[in-house]
Amino acid sequence: MEAIEVARPTAHQLLEDTRMEMEAVASKMLFIKEEGSSKSELRELITQMSLHFITLRKVNRSILVEEDCIKAETEAAKGPVDTTTLQLHNLLYEKNHYLKAIKACKDFRSKYPDIELVPEEEFFSSAPEEIKGKAMADDVAHDLMLKRLNFELFQRKELCKLHEKLEQHKASLLDAISGRKKFLSSLPSHLKSLKKASLPVQQHLGISHTKKLKQLHAAEFLPPPLYIVYSQLLAQKEAFGEKIEMDILGSVKDAQTFALQQVNKENGSLSNLDNAKLEDDAPDDDEDVQRRRKRPKKNVVKDSVEQAGICQLHPLKIVLHVYDDEYTGAKPSRLITLKFEYLVKLNVVCVGFEDTDEKSDSNILCNLFPDDTGLDLPHQMSKLYSGDSLAFGEKGTSYPYKWAQHLAGIDFLPEVPPINVNGDHLNAGLINVSDFSSGLALYRRQNRVQTILQRIRSRKKAQMALVEQLNSLAKLKWPLLIYDNVPWASHTPVCTLQKWSPAGLIPDSSFSTSIAGQATNNVDLDMDRRSVMSWEVENAREDGELPTALPVATMPVDAPVSLSSEPLQLVDRSRSLALMSKNVTPVSMIKTRSFSKYEDELELVLDSDSEAEEQAYSNHVNENASSVVSNPWEDSAAKEFDFILGRNHGKDSVVKLNTKVKISIEYPLRPPIFSLSIDSGRSEWYNVLRAMEAELNLHILRVLPLNNENFILAHQIRCLAMLFDFHFDKHDAKRKSTSVMDVGLCTPISGMILTRSVRGRDRRKMISWNSIGCIPGYPS
Amino acid sequence: MATEQEAAGGDARSWDEERYRKSILQERELRCRTVFRTAFAPSQNPNPDILVVASSDGSLSCYSLASCIASMSQYQQLDMATNLRTVADPLSADPLSIIQAHKGPTYDLKFYTHGENCLLFSCGDDGRLRGWNWKEILSSHIVVDKKTQGNLLKPILDLANPQHEGPWGALSPIPETNAITINEQEGSVYSAAGDARAYSWDIETGKQKMVFKGHADYLHCITARKSSHQIITGSEDGTTRIWDCRSGLCTQVIQSGRNLKSKLSSWVSCVAIDSSESWLACGTGAGLSVWSLLSYECIFNIGHYAPVQDLLFDDNQIVAVGSEPVLTRFSINGATLSQLKCAPQSAFSVSLHPSGVIAVGGYGALVDVLSQFGSHLCTFYCRGLDNYS
Repeated sequence: MEAIEVARPTAHQLLEDTRMEMEAVASKMLFIKEEGSSKSELRELITQMSLHFITLRKVNRSILVEEDCIKAETEAAKGPVDTTTLQLHNLLYEKNHYLKAIKACKDFRSKYPDIELVPEEEFFSSAPEEIKGKAMADDVAHDLMLKRLNFELFQRKELCKLHEKLEQHKASLLDAISGRKKFLSSLPSHLKSLKKASLPVQQHLGISHTKKLKQLHAAEFLPPPLYIVYSQLLAQKEAFGEKIEMDILGSVKDAQTFALQQVNKENGSLSNLDNAKLEDDAPDDDEDVQRRRKRPKKNVVKDSVEQAGICQLHPLKIVLHVYDDEYTGAKPSRLITLKFEYLVKLNVVCVGFEDTDEKSDSNILCNLFPDDTGLDLPHQMSKLYSGDSLAFGEKGTSYPYKWAQHLAGIDFLPEVPPINVNGDHLNAGLINVSDFSSGLALYRRQNRVQTILQRIRSRKKAQMALVEQLNSLAKLKWPLLIYDNVPWASHTPVCTLQKWSPAGLIPDSSFSTSIAGQATNNVDLDMDRRSVMSWEVENAREDGELPTALPVATMPVDAPVSLSSEPLQLVDRSRSLALMSKNVTPVSMIKTRSFSKYEDELELVLDSDSEAEEQAYSNHVNENASSVVSNPWEDSAAKEFDFILGRNHGKDSVVKLNTKVKISIEYPLRPPIFSLSIDSGRSEWYNVLRAMEAELNLHILRVLPLNNENFILAHQIRCLAMLFDFHFDKHDAKRKSTSVMDVGLCTPISGMILTRSVRGRDRRKMISWNSIGCIPGYPS
Repeated sequence: MATEQEAAGGDARSWDEERYRKSILQERELRCRTVFRTAFAPSQNPNPDILVVASSDGSLSCYSLASCIASMSQYQQLDMATNLRTVADPLSADPLSIIQAHKGPTYDLKFYTHGENCLLFSCGDDGRLRGWNWKEILSSHIVVDKKTQGNLLKPILDLANPQHEGPWGALSPIPETNAITINEQEGSVYSAAGDARAYSWDIETGKQKMVFKGHADYLHCITARKSSHQIITGSEDGTTRIWDCRSGLCTQVIQSGRNLKSKLSSWVSCVAIDSSESWLACGTGAGLSVWSLLSYECIFNIGHYAPVQDLLFDDNQIVAVGSEPVLTRFSINGATLSQLKCAPQSAFSVSLHPSGVIAVGGYGALVDVLSQFGSHLCTFYCRGLDNYS
C-alpha cells in the first residue's frame, strides 16, 4: 500500500485525502453521538461516508492495477539483468583464472639458480662457437641463458665422460694397489730379517739408531731414580758431547708387569682386562730383546719378589760405558763399564761392573767421594728396613754408593710410586712434578753428572796408571818417570829393589761383614763393649790407661775384638798399676794380661819369650800403627804392599829398608802412605825414617805438578830410593867424625874440610834441594 | 779431625776437590809434625794450668789443660754415643793462642820470671833467640799474618846467632839454636847453637856476653848449674862439657856418649841436673848415663835400645823419653822403676809441673799429659798454623 502510495502519489494522495475526510466524518459522527444531538445530520454524514467509501474503493482498485502493471514491467526487466550477471560472473572467473596462472608463472622457480652455471665471462670466453652463435630465442637474456645452459650441458657431458674414464682408471689402480698391498703385507717380515741382518753392521759402524729408539722406549719404564740417571746422563752426553754410552738392559715386559704390580698394590685392584691389555701392549720386538739377552722366563719378577725380598732388583738396569775423554785417536778407548741397578724395596741405586773381567778391581769405585765405601746402605730408611741382614760385600759386584744415590737424585726424590705420576692421581702427580723440577734444577746446578763422570774417569785412569806402576814394581824394576823435572828423576838409584809383595787388602775394620751367624756375635761384643766403656768413663782419671789414645800396641787388626779387648785391658792395667812402681814390666806385658775370653787373640801377639824381642815387636807394631790412625772408611779397599830396598855396604853388610806402602783407593787424591822401618832393632833411625816418611808422604806431593799425580807412586818410590841412598850412605861410618861448622873452611878442628850432615834436635840430615824449589829441611 | 774431614770436599752434590786435597795434606802434615818442647806456664795455681807447646812448624801455642781434659771426656762420650770411631783417635785441641815464633822448627822454650814480668824465650832452626812477653802471647788470640810469614806480635828480644865468615867473606848459614837455658840471678840466657858453640846473652841489653868454644860438633842441649856459675852442654860429638860462665873456659869434658860395650861414641841429646845440682844425667843416642858432679864419675850407664831424647830429674828419679812411645823412670842408681806408655812415637820433650803432672810431646804433633800417678789426663794433637790461615 505504501509503495503504491509512493509510486502513485496521486492515488495515494487521493487515498490519503479520502482517509482524512473519512476521519473527519467519523469524528463528526462521534461528536454527534456524544452530544446526542440530531441524528439528522447523521444521514448526511452517512452518505458522505458512503461516498468516501466509494472513492476509496476506486482508488484502491487503481492502486492495485497500477501495482500489477509495475510487476509485469519488473518481470520483463529481470531477463537482461540475469544474462548480464552471468556474463559478469564468467568474466570474473576468467579473470581469476588468469590471475592465478600469472601468479603460478610468477612463482615458478626455475632450476637455474641451483645449477652452478659457468659465469658469463667464462662462457663468452670459453664456449664453443656452435653454442654461442646459434640463436635459440628472441629474448636476449633468455637466449643467453639457454646458451649458457647448453654450454653447461655440454660441459657436463664431457665431464661425465671423463668421470667414466677416471672410474676405469681407478679400478685399474685399485687392482694395482691390492697387488702392492699383498706385497707390503709380506714386507715387514722381510724388513725384520733385514734389520736383524743389519745389526752387526750398525754396531760395527757405531750407528745405533734402532737401539736408541728401543732404549728410549725402555726408558719410560725405568724406575724414577734410574730414569733420572739415564736422562741426566743422556742430557750430559748430548749437551756437552760427553764421551759416554748408555744402554738399558732387561726386559721391558718385565718392567711393565712390575709397574702393574705397583699399581695393583697402590690401587688395591685393577681389572684383569687392563692387565691383559697392558701386556699385549708390549712391543713386538721385545721378544727379540728377550731372545738376544737370553733373559730368564717372564715370571722371573714374581719369583724374585718372593725370593729376594728386600734385595729385589728392578728388572731394568742401565749400563754406562765411559770412554776416555782425552782425544787420542779415531775411536776413544773405553775406560770403564758400569751398571746401575735399582733395589726396589730399599729405594737404593747400586752400581757395579758390567763386565765380569773387571771384577778383579771391583772396588775401584769405593770412596769415589770421601766416606763412601758402598758397603753400607746410604739411607737410614733403608737401613731400618733391611735390618742387619743385608751385606753388600758378598752379593756380587754392585754396591749402594752414596754418589750413585746423588746421581739418581734420590736425595730429592719424593716417595712416589712411579706409576702414579701419570696415573689417576693427577694432582698429586703435578705437585710432584714441580718438586722434581726444583730438585732437578739444584741437581743441574751442582753439576752432579759431570762431577761424577770426571771422578770416575780420573779414578779409572789413576788406577790404570797405578796398575802399570805396580806391575813394574812387581817385576822389581824402578818405575819410569814421565815428569823428570825433579831431583829424584835424575838420580840413579844405587840401592836395589829387593822384594815387592802385596800385603793384601787391609781388613776392613769399620764394617762387619754380617753373615747371619756372625751378626749375633757382633751384637754380643758390642753389648760388652758398651757396658765396659761406660765404666771406663767414670774411671778414666784414676785408671792410668790412655783413654782413647793411640792404637794399642797389641791391638789385633780385627776391630770388634780389639774394641772389646781394650777396655778389658784397662781393668787389668789398673790392677797392675800397683805393681808397677816396684816391678819393671814391659809395656806390652802389662797390656797382655786380660780376661780369658780374649786370651786367644792376644796370645798371638804376646807369646814371645824374651823381653827384648817383645819390645821390638811392640815398637814395630807401633810404628805401623802410627800411620794407621785414621777414619775407618779411608782404609776401605786400600791395598798394602811390602817392599824392601837393599844396599850393599862394603862387602857383606847389607842395609835393608822395609817399607810398607798403603795405597788408598782414593789414589792419587789421597796419596800412598809409606811407613818405613829398618831391620836393626835399634830405633836410632827412628827420626830419620820419620823424616823420610814426611818427605814421601807430604812434601813431594807439593813439588809434583797436578797433571802428574797419577804417577805419584812412582815418584814416591824413586824419591825414597834417593833418600835411602842419601841417608844410608857408604860413608855413613865416617859421619861420626864429620862436620863442625856450617862453613867448611871455618876453623876446622879435625883438620879436614867437611860439611855438616845433621842438624837440629831431631838430627835430621840436611837435604838441600836445588833449583826446583827448595823443600824446607824439616816439615814445617 | 772427623768433623774437619766431613766438612772438606763434600760429596757428589757439592764437590770441592781442591779443598779435599788440602784437607788430606793438612792432616798428613799434622801427622808428621813434631812437638819439640812443652812447658808449663808459671802460675799461682798449684795445679797445672797452661801448657806451651813449641812445634816444628815454628809455632808457639798455648793450651788450657782444663779445657783439654774437659773436651777429652766429652769426646769420649761422643765416641761412645755414636759408636763410630773404632780406632781411638786423640782429638785435636784448639790452642788459646798461637804465634809464629820462628821460621823453621821451634826447638826450645823457657820461661823467665823476673818479678812481675814473665818472659818466654824461644829458639829455633832459624838461629834466633826470641823473648816474648808472656802476657801478650796469652792475650794475642790467633794472630798470624800469613802473607808476611810473621805475626803481629813482636818479640821483646830478638837475638840472632852470629854467622861465620869464611874466605872471601863467604858467610855460613846461620846456625840453629837447639836449646836454651836461663839463669835468672845473672839475668842471662844461654843458647846451644849449631856451630858447636854455646852463647851467653844478657837479657837486659841483648848483648852477647860470652862464647863457649870447644865442642867438635853441634850442640844439642844446655843446662845451667846456677850454684857454681856453670853451664853444661851436650853435643853431637858425644861429649858433655862443663863450662865456667865467668871465664868461658871448659872445666870438664865428660865422655858421656861413649858406649861401654862398643866403645863407639854417640851424640848427647839431653842433659839434666837435679835440684841439688850434684847429679848430672845425660841422654845419648845409645842410652843414658848419670854422673856425679862432685867427682865427675859415672854412676851408671845404661844401654838403651832407643835413643834418649829428653830427660829430667823428678826428685831423685830420672824421667826419660826417647824415640819410642814410652816414658821411663829410673832411680838414681840405674834401676828402671817404671815404664809408661805415652802417645808420641818419638818423644822429644818431657816436662814436669811442680804438682807432678808430666807433659810429653813428640812426633805426630802429639802431646800427652800424665797425672802424677801415671794416668793419662789428656792426649791431643796440636793444630798447626796453617789451620788458621
